[in-house]
Amino acid sequence: MKRRTLQYSRFLALLLVFALMVGVVSAQGDRKVLVDAGNAVGASDVPTLDPSLATDTSSIQVLIETNPGLTRINEVTLETEPSMATWTVSDDGLVYTFSIMPEVPWVKYNAETDAVEQVLDENGNVRYVTAEDFAYGIRRSIGGQLGSYYGGIMASWVVNGDAVYAGELPVEELGVEVLDTYTLQITASKPAAFLSTIFGMWQAYAQPAWVIEEYGDFWYEPESFQGYGPFTLKEWIHGESITIIKNPFWPGTENIPVPALDEVKMMVLEASAALANFEAGAADVSIVPLSDIDRIQADPVLSEAYYVGPGSCTYIYGINTAKPPLDDARVRQALSMSINRQALIDNVTKGGQQPAFFFARPSLAAAPHQEDYPEYVLGEDVEVARELLQSYLDERGITLDQMEPITLAHNESEGHARIAQAIQQMWTEALGITVEIQTQEWAVYLETIKSDDAPQVFRYGWCLDYPDAHNFLFDVFDSQVRELGINWNNEDAAEFDSLVEQAMVEPDMQTRTDLYAQAENLLTNKDAAIIPIYYYTSLNLTQPWVQRTHSQFGQEYFEKWDIDLSARP
Amino acid sequence: MTSNLKRSTAAAAIPGLNAETKPESLWRSSVQRLTRNRSAVVGLAIILLTILVAVFAPQLAPMDYKTQVLSDANTAPRWVTQVFPVMRPADDGGYVKINETYLLGADRLGRDLFSRIIYGTRVSLMVAFVGPLVALIVGLTLGLVSGYVGGWVDNVIMRFTDIMYAFPTLLLVILLMSFFRSSLGNVEPGTFAFQVGELDRASGGMLFIFIGVGLTSWMQTARLTRGQVLFVREQEYITAARAIGSPTWPILTRHILPNILGPIVVAETLTIPRYISFEAFLSFIGLGVNPPTPSWGAMISEGAGAISTYPNQAIFPALALFLVMFSFNFLGDGLRDALDPRMRGIE
Amino acid sequence: MGAFIVRRMLQMLLVLFVISLFTFVVMRAVPGGPFSSEKSLPPRTLAQLEAKYNLDEPLVMQYIHYIGDIAIPHITENRLENSVLNDYLINIYIPVVDRTFRWMNFGPSYKSVSQTVNSIIKDTLPVSATLGIGALLVALVIGVPAGIIAALNRNSRWDYIAMGVSIVGVSIPVIVLGPVLRYVFGVQLKWLPPTGWGGIEHIIMPAFALGFAESARLARLTRASLLQVLNEDYIRTARAKGLAERVVVGLHALKNAMLPVVTTIGPLFAFLITGSFVAELVFGIPGLGKFFVTSITNRDYPVIMGTTLLLGFLVIVANLIVDVVYVWLDPRIKYD
Repeated sequence: MKRRTLQYSRFLALLLVFALMVGVVSAQGDRKVLVDAGNAVGASDVPTLDPSLATDTSSIQVLIETNPGLTRINEVTLETEPSMATWTVSDDGLVYTFSIMPEVPWVKYNAETDAVEQVLDENGNVRYVTAEDFAYGIRRSIGGQLGSYYGGIMASWVVNGDAVYAGELPVEELGVEVLDTYTLQITASKPAAFLSTIFGMWQAYAQPAWVIEEYGDFWYEPESFQGYGPFTLKEWIHGESITIIKNPFWPGTENIPVPALDEVKMMVLEASAALANFEAGAADVSIVPLSDIDRIQADPVLSEAYYVGPGSCTYIYGINTAKPPLDDARVRQALSMSINRQALIDNVTKGGQQPAFFFARPSLAAAPHQEDYPEYVLGEDVEVARELLQSYLDERGITLDQMEPITLAHNESEGHARIAQAIQQMWTEALGITVEIQTQEWAVYLETIKSDDAPQVFRYGWCLDYPDAHNFLFDVFDSQVRELGINWNNEDAAEFDSLVEQAMVEPDMQTRTDLYAQAENLLTNKDAAIIPIYYYTSLNLTQPWVQRTHSQFGQEYFEKWDIDLSARP
Repeated sequence: MTSNLKRSTAAAAIPGLNAETKPESLWRSSVQRLTRNRSAVVGLAIILLTILVAVFAPQLAPMDYKTQVLSDANTAPRWVTQVFPVMRPADDGGYVKINETYLLGADRLGRDLFSRIIYGTRVSLMVAFVGPLVALIVGLTLGLVSGYVGGWVDNVIMRFTDIMYAFPTLLLVILLMSFFRSSLGNVEPGTFAFQVGELDRASGGMLFIFIGVGLTSWMQTARLTRGQVLFVREQEYITAARAIGSPTWPILTRHILPNILGPIVVAETLTIPRYISFEAFLSFIGLGVNPPTPSWGAMISEGAGAISTYPNQAIFPALALFLVMFSFNFLGDGLRDALDPRMRGIE
Repeated sequence: MGAFIVRRMLQMLLVLFVISLFTFVVMRAVPGGPFSSEKSLPPRTLAQLEAKYNLDEPLVMQYIHYIGDIAIPHITENRLENSVLNDYLINIYIPVVDRTFRWMNFGPSYKSVSQTVNSIIKDTLPVSATLGIGALLVALVIGVPAGIIAALNRNSRWDYIAMGVSIVGVSIPVIVLGPVLRYVFGVQLKWLPPTGWGGIEHIIMPAFALGFAESARLARLTRASLLQVLNEDYIRTARAKGLAERVVVGLHALKNAMLPVVTTIGPLFAFLITGSFVAELVFGIPGLGKFFVTSITNRDYPVIMGTTLLLGFLVIVANLIVDVVYVWLDPRIKYD
């Protein structure tokens, strides 16, 4: 009898513990808190939340929710749409006038009351986001001498931008003018189709001058951070997580609705740790580690949660066209033609990527689709590749063994290593050449591939800043800005420059696309100065109780997401 | 072999003095004692076997270590899927394609795991020997001198050890590598840098792993040796030997060294996996052997990323490592017993 | 003894100075800079950043300024501009002159832009130290008793079991053990959260993953050392005197056998509390190890310098404590 009582009390104690645990869970359970192990993955910390200094996807992911820009990119169509403002453009395409949404308050999370509060000015009035705040942000990015990367990008598009950036002109000379409280006018230095997108990027977000003046370099820490978007910053545990909380004062617009989620906690995790959290039910969204794709696809539960959509980057091999034997276009073409891209995707990269023959992703505005221009596509053909190589060897009067050895370099990462080793084997099998793989530590590698003495073949990837072909073809390969050591300086390269520069200012979309197609032809086909390999996909896992959108450009819009609490275990 | 009883009946002779009268017999009897220790002999046999495997890898491996059959990537024979229940075969609603050609399965690029483990023996054994070798040559010497001589010499050596302890070796390895991996740099053929780079390439990228391992290996040994010497130095037989005016060197080699070797040998054998892990860590951050050269460390660290999907790719090389570790430890224990002068006459 | 400790502390300053110089030279000789990235900065942007962090000065001046910021105390206004460039570790208000005494500014982080070396260490060192102490406890609690049991029952079943387990432990790298633990206890059994930091439930797996291998090392070291000591004359004498085995082992043998173990624990402690890159990555722990390794790959110069000096400081202090413990364990050892 006594023993039974003991067991009974043990059972009760256990029950109590369970009840407590359930209590804890349900206390969180009635709020919609999304745990996101998919958007800050890999980094040791989110580097910054200063819109002027942000350059990486995780920083921008937070800012896009806390400080929406004048315009923003639709995550599905990749078109530029109104965000904090609507706009008109003058007939010459130079003057952009933005009408900013009135009476959107600046807000701040108060840790003591655990609530988001409106920010008051020194007179006790609510501070609304004004044209002045946007102008301050732009002037700070371009003229603040902060070493702002995207401030520098934007500077070349705004009147006097370059001079202000260099400190040669005072910041007041910048082509940014506050017409009234809610009207901002930006005068461009030259017209371009994608300016409304550039003016909506993070370096042009509204910034709280009063906070920055008081808190200096630390202004965007949670103690002082102020935002105005659908979410604002709640907590930042450096190296572990960053949490944003719903802003109840956000009015909601057609494009940026009032969020359904109460909080989003973005975890800083390495990929397989993210997946472990997802499988344990501790994360609602996760990225997908390459090694686990097979299991995920076969697993009845995980395969339901698995999503593959278009990504935002292109994977290429650059070629140093100054180093023999790759100083001859035929050898370069042979290398490109003897890569079996689909086999690579099916067996190595696995994420349903698209084989690439052009550099600019097809989803970008004005980017040519490779199937529309078959005459410009180099394609894959091992036989032709062998003939090309043979004709090169014959011309030099040497045998394959006498040809200079080829080095293929990549920065260290498991994924790059797999691809390089597979391509190494493809080249050996198709052409009989020996290829040595060299890996380098990241920072060393960057220096290596940006020097004229770059390795013969080297891995590179490019992700979009704004969805226009210009961001790929001009920003990476135009000789004015080109840094990759491909040493591509012949007359084709000069023609490439003139084509992409012409396409930059050309208003007609079809003409632009044609110009870019001709440029792609020179870069990837005729001269084969680079070998495009595949277009990235974006892979993720989402729990069944999360309703979401899938972004094609690297950041998610959480205000369009929801959690079905009744379906959540 | 309960040795308590035997130990109490052991000769009460002072071991140090004994050794001085008949110095050769100390080492010879050590060898005898080692060969009489069964587990040590087994350990030694396995290590010798592993060395043979490393030397005759091309003859032993059923396949080439670098040939990829992409369509066979991540396939495994059925018995592997039965050992690891996570790996459900594709014909059983799972994802693992069954392929009996590969004894232990194929890796993520369709290369034979078994052959890669066999070839990987080369790098891993080299690392396992180079680490302790540097540690014993540099660490033991510095520790002996430091502990025995004492005074400012001790102080200087130990502070140098402190410096090397704290110094970020990783940084130095990155520096050396970027400087010497010349095919990517601006190094002229014929220069020293070029030759070092060539040497590295000829060794499949092992050179810098050795440098890294060598740099990190000796400090602990030096401190441990010094601690042991400090302890032994004050023992009666050493004070006696010094009192009768024996010169320093014989005291060090005949009296002190044999008395301190036990823990040091054990510590060294225990540190071998740390060297191999260091090699794995270097591979992990991209400073390891050049692909496709296999090494256990690199295989383990690559496989670890897929451990919940293809556990065989990390566990099998880890088992190989375990086997070698086991042998080194048995041998280490045997050596310890054999080298301990006080154990003489016990067996 | 007191004089010995004071002298060693003074030597420590010299050693730290040499470490800083070494590290600085090697760090700056390595190719790649803190602002390299896939989309590399245009020269004009780079120039602004270099000016902001004084990287445009000659190298010698940069080093002198760096050491000066750390070593030279400053008496400043009470309120400084909120800048990552003037975050001092020690700030003491002096009422008499109404100014503030400041000392030890280890500089900003170039990568985590609103962080300084001081703030990173303040945030992460407690995390890593907690984990490190946990791992050390695991190592000691498993390792030392296992070693003693094995030594006292030499060549018995217990010896083989203890040593067998320890070889298993030492042969499995954290990079394998960590994910396996995480998968089994975090994902399959759901007994523990797979990653994260905050509660005792978060410490168990990483502390075990880190401590298990070390426990194996300690077990074998304890065994070897104890076996050696058990053969010493004074132990035999003690036994001959008819002292109880427990007293012989507990009082005499164990104390002396701990010498090599203590030698190992010193630096081990320093390494464990400065964090483990792999364990922190596998278990999503915001510790110092992650920042240290990424600072090297990022060329985040002040963070490299700061964490190296911290590690150096801890190693030296740990070794000093070891030397003091030597004297306590074996009074025959003297430092002159």
